[in-house]
Parts: sequence; structure tokens; C-alpha cells
Amino acid sequence: MHKVISRTFETLQSQVKSESCVLTVCDSPVIIWPNRGLECKFLFLIQSVINLRLMMEATKTGRPLSAPILSRTVHKSHFLSTTFPVDCVVRTTVNETIKDAFERLLEALTHQLCEMEKVTLQHIKGTTLLVPQPLHFLLPEPKGLVTVVYPAGVPDSQLETQRKELHQQFELPDDWPYFRRANAYHFPNEPYKDGYLRNPHLGLTHPTLDNGKVYLVQGFYSYHHYMQDHVDDNGWGCAYRSLQTICSWFQQQGFVERAVPTHREIQQALLDVGDKQASFVGSRQWIGSIEVQVVLNQLLGVTSKIMFVSQGSELASKGRELANHFLTDGTPIMIGGGVLAHTILGVAWSETSGQIRYLILDPHYTGAEDSQVITDKGWCGWKGPDFWDQIAYYNLCLPQRPKVI
Amino acid sequence: MGRSYIVEEAVEGYLTKQCEQKAGPVTGLLIGQSSTQREFVVTATRTPQREEPLAAGDSPDKQWVTEHARQVSRMLPGGLSVLGVFIVTDIDAKDSLATLRKLVFAVENLISSERLWNPADDDVTDCVALHVNPKTRKTFCRTFDIKDPKQSVAKPADWKYQSGVCSSWSTVSCSLSVDMLVPLPDDRTDLEDMDKCLKEGLKVWAHQLESAVCLIDGRKLSEDMELVGGQKRNVRQTYTAQLLITPDERRATDVVQRCGGSVSVRGAIHSRAYLHSNKPKAKLAEKLLKRDAVSTVATRAQMLLEELLTSDGESKGSGRDRPQRGTHNELFCLPHRIFCPVKASGPVCVCDYHFSDEGLSVVTDRLKEMLDIDAAEKDLDTRQETPAEVLEGEAAAEPTVETIEALEPKRNRYIGVAMATVVAFLATAASMLYLNDV
Repeated sequence: MHKVISRTFETLQSQVKSESCVLTVCDSPVIIWPNRGLECKFLFLIQSVINLRLMMEATKTGRPLSAPILSRTVHKSHFLSTTFPVDCVVRTTVNETIKDAFERLLEALTHQLCEMEKVTLQHIKGTTLLVPQPLHFLLPEPKGLVTVVYPAGVPDSQLETQRKELHQQFELPDDWPYFRRANAYHFPNEPYKDGYLRNPHLGLTHPTLDNGKVYLVQGFYSYHHYMQDHVDDNGWGCAYRSLQTICSWFQQQGFVERAVPTHREIQQALLDVGDKQASFVGSRQWIGSIEVQVVLNQLLGVTSKIMFVSQGSELASKGRELANHFLTDGTPIMIGGGVLAHTILGVAWSETSGQIRYLILDPHYTGAEDSQVITDKGWCGWKGPDFWDQIAYYNLCLPQRPKVI
Repeated sequence: MGRSYIVEEAVEGYLTKQCEQKAGPVTGLLIGQSSTQREFVVTATRTPQREEPLAAGDSPDKQWVTEHARQVSRMLPGGLSVLGVFIVTDIDAKDSLATLRKLVFAVENLISSERLWNPADDDVTDCVALHVNPKTRKTFCRTFDIKDPKQSVAKPADWKYQSGVCSSWSTVSCSLSVDMLVPLPDDRTDLEDMDKCLKEGLKVWAHQLESAVCLIDGRKLSEDMELVGGQKRNVRQTYTAQLLITPDERRATDVVQRCGGSVSVRGAIHSRAYLHSNKPKAKLAEKLLKRDAVSTVATRAQMLLEELLTSDGESKGSGRDRPQRGTHNELFCLPHRIFCPVKASGPVCVCDYHFSDEGLSVVTDRLKEMLDIDAAEKDLDTRQETPAEVLEGEAAAEPTVETIEALEPKRNRYIGVAMATVVAFLATAASMLYLNDV
């Protein structure tokens, strides 16, 4: 069977190198035959990402070819027909010629077919074939976008050896899961399927403080707030929403595969650990930072630190701790107190002057996923120390990032 | 408002000739192209004589007429189709309407049942029924909408003769390579199963072609763009088409199936479609060409299977039974396509299929019998396709042909990031690094 698969890949390779190989630019009439001396009249587009589609030309010009032959084979065997989802990225600059860029693209394509062959052969079990799936990962500069082929259906947990090799190959530290599937690069022109906003804070201008630095959440999260998912939790669900935002962070960085829990699942988890009574599930009871810590542990296996301040005014002096948290863990923080819960996404702090600002994501928003409104009206925005109730006490839940790959 | 039929002058002469037949009613087919505004009739052909010709009072043999229509339909390249039925009979026009109606529907049903492509929304669904009185030569023309057999009433239609109806028609053609592989079921690998499996495979291929990108003379034209811009009359246009295909995004089964064998069809076909000269659109050219491609492959496969079935499984190619390990491989050459002009001057041709071990006279005989065309061997255009050749040794080359195969990959690719964005991109990365080193 291996021989047949290899032979099939050989055929695919030759198709890609043949003159029938065609690249069409999506949403434009430009069509390129990369293996025919690149006769294409085109204008380089101003877009930052150009999507191309690979096609095969089924028609041939020139001498008439021979009429078809029908071949009938009687032989007990197995038949598999599949489509390999080839997906290549090439980063180029305006200085590079079109010809060179396309040559590199075809090289990338050929290389990916080889990778796919390897992965396919590696993961054959009997007569089951796993489809090789390419994913792109954005590594810290200067490495840029890197493409890895994973076998579909094999969960991340079983691919750790492969990821270790990749970390070694790219000399990456072992404390950030660069190569987990959830961390695949999301291209700017692709919409998110789930409809939630991602990182609404990126559109903000950060405050400049004397000798101050900005410390932000690392990676990606989705904004969860009142009224989403057809759940009317206006007035009681703020801590649940903050918890959902935190869970989304762990899912999107690939630490967990579990989807963001619903209110009910959160309540059920608290019941399961014995923290609440059965009547709690389905109720509209509030939760606090301790419950957030418990649920994160129960559902995601994530540990969190709890920080307590006896009055809100003390938060102004917590700059160093918060900054350190964002540096070492980089997770969103849930803060509860004075009948409200919020999410802290970052802190701007000056060591010398003590000035401090907090980047707050407010779960009390009840509107639509409109990033303009959300940033303009301050539902995601920088707040000063007077944002907190100066007298109330606060508990903060600081989730710890597992140091794994 | 009724349909309008613009009819080639030569058809008038042909129908007149049929009026001079002594024997019973003459039926036949009308061939041409439909468009939304009017229909063009290019030629007509009488139903071939049976062994016992019909007497004066007999009604036409529906079975015979429809079988003729089926055979004729296979000989029509893209753009030409059977538009309806004519009858030359003494019986009053109104009285023979019922007969005509039956014939029209039967013909249409049989032809459409063989089609492997889906009808489009903008297809014309009217068929014509023409009655000619042999004494007065008067024509009585009606149309039936075949979309709705129960409701359909005869609608009056115009029948006008004109010279040079198709003299400035355009031709779109291409040479399309076919590469199909279909599994045969585990326990049944005889000819009937091959027929069924092939049809399924052809449907999949037809679907792929339907979504293929069509370039005409190297450009992708928008659907409503007219193909012929400001052309003078009597100037023929030929266009070359290119078809770009992508595999299906989602395959229904990525599952490995047990099979008892496989059938493959590999080679190239010449596909062609004719377009009327009344401002045809690019969409029409694409539709007709693609339909012709599917039909020509299906017809040839059908012809081969019919040959094999009638000769009781004796192979026509050079394959041999190889009983080694219960496997054997047979190769058959599908017939290649030959074209023959309908009239001496127009571009429009009909076609036929020719097995290489037959003489060309088989083709000229068929053209005479089916389409009543008197053609000499030198009139035939045999240059569009070359006959397939199967060498004796080929069957021996791979006695165990395994059938695991992957189709072409689907791909989305991104060439990214022109200079300006690279700068911004680097800047963001730099600020992230900055934050991290405290």
C-alpha cells in the first residue's frame, strides 16, 4: 500500500510541475500558468494578503491527443479517493519579481506534498488513511510564518513529540505552545466563524505615563459579555462572562480543547466539586473570584492565584504584581468586588511615579459585537485608579499559564 | 406570445421532398438550437425506413421514432439538439396533433433520460410539432411545453424560412483530457455493473466540469458578456476554450472501500459547440460546450458497452483474460469523433463515432441512415481526434492494477505581505519583544 501511495504522490508532484498547473487570484480575473514561462499581464495588488487558488487545466492545445481508452480491471482491492487540502504561504516583498515569488510558491507546494506524503505514510493504520492537514503558525520574528502538516483526527495530546522536534528545529522556548493547532495563524481577511470579537483592545491607543510601561495580555481571547448566546444574564452574569473570556484564552492558545463553558456548565462544575448545592444549577446566583478559580481548575485543569485587597484604593499600589503577571503568565485577570466583576487585560504602570492605568474589558455590555462601539464607549478601555470602588474589598483571580508546548 | 422558428431554406426543400413519398405518413426530426427569443432549425431528417414500410392509414411507430431520435441526439455536437418532430400526412392537422403530441413527449423523455447533466433554469422547454400537408405543402406549427406534460396545450408558433440561417454561427471548441477512475463493487464486476458505475463516475465528472472555470480565447468573460461583438454577417468566428478544474471541496467519502476492481477512462476528446449569431452570451457558450464534453464521453462509453453486451463479452480491444490470481485487465479503445458538415457552406457539423477497426464507410452509411446526409469519405473531418492505440504488450504491463488513488489537492494559497505591511508587522513584533524583556 505504501508503494501505491508514494506513486500517487509522485503523480501529484508531476501535475504541479506540469504546464496544466494554473493559479487563479481569488476575486480577480488574473490567471497565471506558473510553469509556462510566466506569461501573465498583471498589476501587483495593494492588498497585504493575496489568495490564490490552484487549479488544473483540463484542456490541451496543440496536436490532437488520442481518443480515450477504457480500462477495466478485475481485482479485489481497496479504493480510496480523497482530496488533499494543500495550503501554502509565501511571504514576499515588493522588491521581489513576480517570477521569483511564484517559483518559491511552487517550491513550497512541492515541499508540502512531500511533507504530506511523509505524514500520510507515518499514520497509516491498516486500511485507514488520515488526511494530512497543513496549518500555518506565526513564530516570533524573524522566523515568521511556518507551515506544519498534521494528520487530521490525531489530537494535539498525541503529537507532542512532533511539537518538541519543531521547537528544537526553530529554537523556541518550551513554555509557549506555538505549535498547538489552536494557535494556527488567522489571516487578516478571514472572518471568525463563531462571531465573537477577538482582542478588541488592539484598536486602542495605550496611555503614556512618565517612565511608564504597558504590560498586556499575551495571545488571543474572545470578548464575552451580557446577553450573548441568547442567555439573558443582565445583572447577574458578569463574573460568568469574565470567566468565559478567560476560558477562551486557554482554548485559543491551544492549552485546552474544551469549548468555552456555558453558564450552566459553570454552575454544574461548582456543584460537582461540592462548592454549591444542587439548587444552584439553573439559578441566577452570582459567583466571585474563588468560584472562578475553582471552575478553571475543575474544567480546564488550570491553577490560579488569588490576590486580595481590603479596599479598592489599594489597587493603585498593585502595579508591580499586575505587571509581573502579564509578563510571566500573560492571561486575562478576573476581578470581583463591590457587586461588580470585570476582566483586566493589561496595566500601564510607572515604577518611578507610581502612576497606574488598568485595561478593562467590561462584561456588562449588552449590545452587538461592534468593535467600534465597544472601544468608543469604553466597554474595552483604559481606566484610572478611581474606576474602583475605593472602599469595597476586591478579590482578583490570576490564572497561571501552564508551561507546556 | 408564441415561439418563433427561423428555418433554414434547405429544410423547406427537404420537407417538400418528403411530400412526394407515395407510402404512408412520413415522420422525422427537426434539429437546431433554441434561444430565449427564437428557435433556429438547421436541418431535418426523416425517420429511417423500417423493414415493412407504413401503409397510408397507419399511425407512426412511436418506438421507432423515439429510437431514431435517441441515435440522432448522439450525433449532434453542442448547440444542436432535437427540437421536435414533423409529420407529413394527409390526415388533417388538427387530428394529427394528438399523435404529434405523443411523439414529441416520447422523444423528449427518452433523450432527457440519457442526459447526465442537469437542466438549467434558463433552458427553453418548448418542443415543436410540425404538420405538413403533402398536397398543399402547407405547414401547421405548434409547440408543447415539455416541462409540464399534464397541463401542456398546443401553442401556436411561427414557422419562417430564411436562407443562411447558420452561415455565420460561431464555433467554440477545446481538446479536453479525461482521467476518470471509478471503483467496481466488491462482488459484481460484470458489464452491467460497469455501466452503472461508469454513469456514476461520469456524473461526478460532469459536476466537476460544471463548476470549472471556462476561458474563451484565453480570457474569463463575465456571464452576460456577448461573445460576438459587432460582427459582420457571414464572417465565421471560432473560439478556443480552456477549462480549469478544481476537485470537490468536500468529498462525501474519504473512506477506504473494498472493491472488486476498477474502470478507468483516460485520453482526450474534442468537444465542440455551435452558437447562433444573434448576440450569444459567454454563459451560453460555456454551458453548451460543457454539456457536449459530458455527452461525448458518455455516448462513446455507451456505444462501447452496447458493442460488448451484444457480442457477449468478447472484447473489442486487445485485452486478454488473465486468470492469474483472479485478476484480469482489459483495455478497450473508445471510438473517436468524426465531423461532417450539414451543408456545404455553413460551419455547422454533425458528428459520429468511429471504431478504428471499421472502415469509414460505416460512418457515411450511418450519416445517410440517421440524418439523411449524403456524404463522401472525403467530406469527413477526421483530424480532430486521433484514434487510441492499445499495444499488445500494454495489457501485460500491470496485471495487478491497484486502485488506491488520490485526486488532485485542493489548495488555497496566500502570497502575502507587501513591503508596507511588513514594516508594520515588524513594528508590532518589536513592541512585543520590548515588553517581554524586563
